[in-house]
Amino acid sequence: MVNLLTLLVAGLANGSLYALVALGLVLIYKTQDVVNFAHGEILMAGAFIGFSAYTFLHLPYGWSLVAAVLLGGLLGAVIERVAFRRVANQHHITLAMVTVGLSVLMKGLARIPFGRDINTYPPAFKADRVVLWGIPISPQHLLTIAMAASLAVALYLFFRFTALGKKMRATQQTIVGAQLVGINTGNVFASTWALAAMIGAAAGVLAAPLSLLYPDMGTNFLLKGFAAAVLGGFESVPGAIVGGFIVGVVEMLFGGFVSTVFQQVSAFFIIILVLFLKPDGLFGRRALARV
Amino acid sequence: MERLPWLRRLFPFVLILALLAASQVMDNYLQYIVNLVLIYVIIGIGLNFLLGFAGQFAFAHAALMGIGAYTAALLTTRVGLSFWLALPLSGVVAAVIGAGAALPAMRMRRVYLALVTLAFAQLIIWVLINWNAVTLGTDGVDLRAPYLFGWRMRGDRNTFYIVLPVTVFLYWLARRVLESHVGRAFIAIRENEIVARSNGISVAWTKTLVFALSAFYAGIGGGLYALALGFIVPDSFGLGQLTLHFSIVVLGGMLSLYGAVIGAVVLTTLPEFLRDVQALQEIIYGLVLMVVILVMPQGIVGPLKRFGILPREVLARNWRRLERRG
Amino acid sequence: MTGRPVLLEARDVTIRFGGLVAVDSVSMAIVPGEVRGLIGPNGAGKTTFFNAISGLVPLSSGLIRLGGEDITALPAHRRAAAGLRRTFQSVQLLPQQTVLENVLIGLHTSFTAPGWRDRRGREAAAQAQVEHVLAFLGIAARILTPVNRLTFAEQRLTEIARAIVSRPRVLLLDEPAAGLSPTEVEGLGELLHRLRDEWDVTILLVEHVLSLVLNRSDRVTVLENGRLIAEGCPEEVANNRAVQVAYMGVE
Repeated sequence: MVNLLTLLVAGLANGSLYALVALGLVLIYKTQDVVNFAHGEILMAGAFIGFSAYTFLHLPYGWSLVAAVLLGGLLGAVIERVAFRRVANQHHITLAMVTVGLSVLMKGLARIPFGRDINTYPPAFKADRVVLWGIPISPQHLLTIAMAASLAVALYLFFRFTALGKKMRATQQTIVGAQLVGINTGNVFASTWALAAMIGAAAGVLAAPLSLLYPDMGTNFLLKGFAAAVLGGFESVPGAIVGGFIVGVVEMLFGGFVSTVFQQVSAFFIIILVLFLKPDGLFGRRALARV
Repeated sequence: MERLPWLRRLFPFVLILALLAASQVMDNYLQYIVNLVLIYVIIGIGLNFLLGFAGQFAFAHAALMGIGAYTAALLTTRVGLSFWLALPLSGVVAAVIGAGAALPAMRMRRVYLALVTLAFAQLIIWVLINWNAVTLGTDGVDLRAPYLFGWRMRGDRNTFYIVLPVTVFLYWLARRVLESHVGRAFIAIRENEIVARSNGISVAWTKTLVFALSAFYAGIGGGLYALALGFIVPDSFGLGQLTLHFSIVVLGGMLSLYGAVIGAVVLTTLPEFLRDVQALQEIIYGLVLMVVILVMPQGIVGPLKRFGILPREVLARNWRRLERRG
Repeated sequence: MTGRPVLLEARDVTIRFGGLVAVDSVSMAIVPGEVRGLIGPNGAGKTTFFNAISGLVPLSSGLIRLGGEDITALPAHRRAAAGLRRTFQSVQLLPQQTVLENVLIGLHTSFTAPGWRDRRGREAAAQAQVEHVLAFLGIAARILTPVNRLTFAEQRLTEIARAIVSRPRVLLLDEPAAGLSPTEVEGLGELLHRLRDEWDVTILLVEHVLSLVLNRSDRVTVLENGRLIAEGCPEEVANNRAVQVAYMGVE
């Protein structure tokens, strides 16, 4: 019983990371109808920015997070402006290829400074375990869950109550409609990418203490974030969050009770299983195509 | 080439003869490179069917190549089957598994196909690494070269004598398939499935066919790859391999058989020079993928065709007959 | 009425989306050689009904028959094989391919039909059919031109070529006059009659440009809010009170 709850908390912590990754994917997909295959690498960039801030600039954890988020956002906006805007209207294969190329490029660029060793990021707390109600729980996990939750709430408020957030929602519904009412969709796209990148980078910094840091770490998070988004039907924010928790917890339980070897691939099984049984995800609705 | 029809028709034969002649005097390393180029032509053609012509964005090509490679290697060393049988089997095994990937393609939204196949590819690598009893895991497997009339076909030149006819045959086959109603059905589903269906095309059947065909080529390519290298490990068939495949198709030109050839020639020679510098490889491939798509979305063959250096490719047999009508 | 056998029949077709009834028990019978117009104000359900006949939208109830055979359960590609073809509102061609390749797609079913003999003969025969239909439509010279280099009118003709090259029994035309100038509409009208008389195809046409429908149709069906409110020859329909109210509001 004790073991189960520890695993559960760990699963929720990882799950909140996957949820954040899912959010970033869904955000871009809803606005530009394309999956950003480089999203995992944005997370990796965030993690390494945080790592560099800590190791080279000796910034404390909190400020590393801020630095990663800001630089991540900038990175996202630049990517959209330089690479994406030119091809935004082309065939979906073209778009997807650009993000694939970007993902590979980023991995290569990261490998030059960071490829030699596997790095680690020290946890934010000195204590390794905290005992709550007789159950050992890692404070880092709790911190991760808390931060992810705050991010989700901040996002909700952003979409609901800020002008930019509303414009983004409008553009997601209909690009032409948004243009007709005077919304600068170019800015919205740039902001969407920036926002998605910020979330991704934040996830990276949160992931850093829980995971090893290496240039290829992105793919793993991309797949699991995708599993989470798929569970949520690729449409909704709450869906992505619930999906993230499910993936995180299932993975941990698999690892704890079956075998750690299977832990890596449990997310893959989830993806394949869900998509075969419920092709639109757990919460999704059938999309009607127009010719 | 457009203006010299005799040149166009002679060129393939000239090329084959040149390669055969050159192989008599090449050193082993160069021969090995030539073998790899031919193998990646097959791989590129296979991916082009799926990605370029049929527009199915799937990430399983490298994993399927791995399946083909392991099938060939394991059948020759652990089961004792002759390579002459193991090679077609690698194609068939990969094709069956590849057709299995068509199932999600038919049922789910486009966005999911890419990531499902990516997950599947990771799963395959994981199986290759962890199923030690069968695949020998990270220790790798070697391949036993075949006998031809009692002569052991070992070494790079002998490998070339096997790889070349297979490549030529598979190229010819691809040309026949593409210039038929099957090839036209591929492009139809690429553009708009609803329109394809309204013209009598069964999207389900066409997708299954293109996935199987593409996987078959990947499998054969994998089997020949195992032959050329003599020894394979799971890690060779991961994302790095897949990136090379994508780059070949994008750089050469999607929607073009010539593109697969050109892409394979250009990019296969590259990794050999950069073999130890993974970061540099990745940066180059990443840039190739992005820049080519942004600047030359039709790949190298685009401008080559526009300037008449490369002939047009029209998906209809003997279409030039119609040209002469005037 | 004339005792001719019905070629395309829709019987009590109802289509529901969630709680909304888009098409409410609509019946229609089209005889061979007829040009039938289908009109109605926006939201009348004509496009939905039209898409249901071509097999892209499932029926909630009712049936559809082609040449006496029940095709309600047939998927779109089988209906195409059975001789039911259509065009689309926005031109849906493969832009980088030639007219030849695009129109050959319309003959896909002749390649997949059973019979293994004479494979090479089929391709040559198909290409000959393409040449023939392009000559019929007056664009024979463009056969090897990539579609993205054609004029808009030529592209539209290419799409029609693809739809009729297989000599379908029924041709469904989806707003063919959209975006055409009055002269072009007149040309389209003549083409419709040529298709009926010379190419031997029965036509169902959904259209907003009333002049085309009223001048060229043999019979007209009017839908409003998913229901059939009038049917008859063009004069009857034009003078029908309910139709006038539907289009122009209360008099």
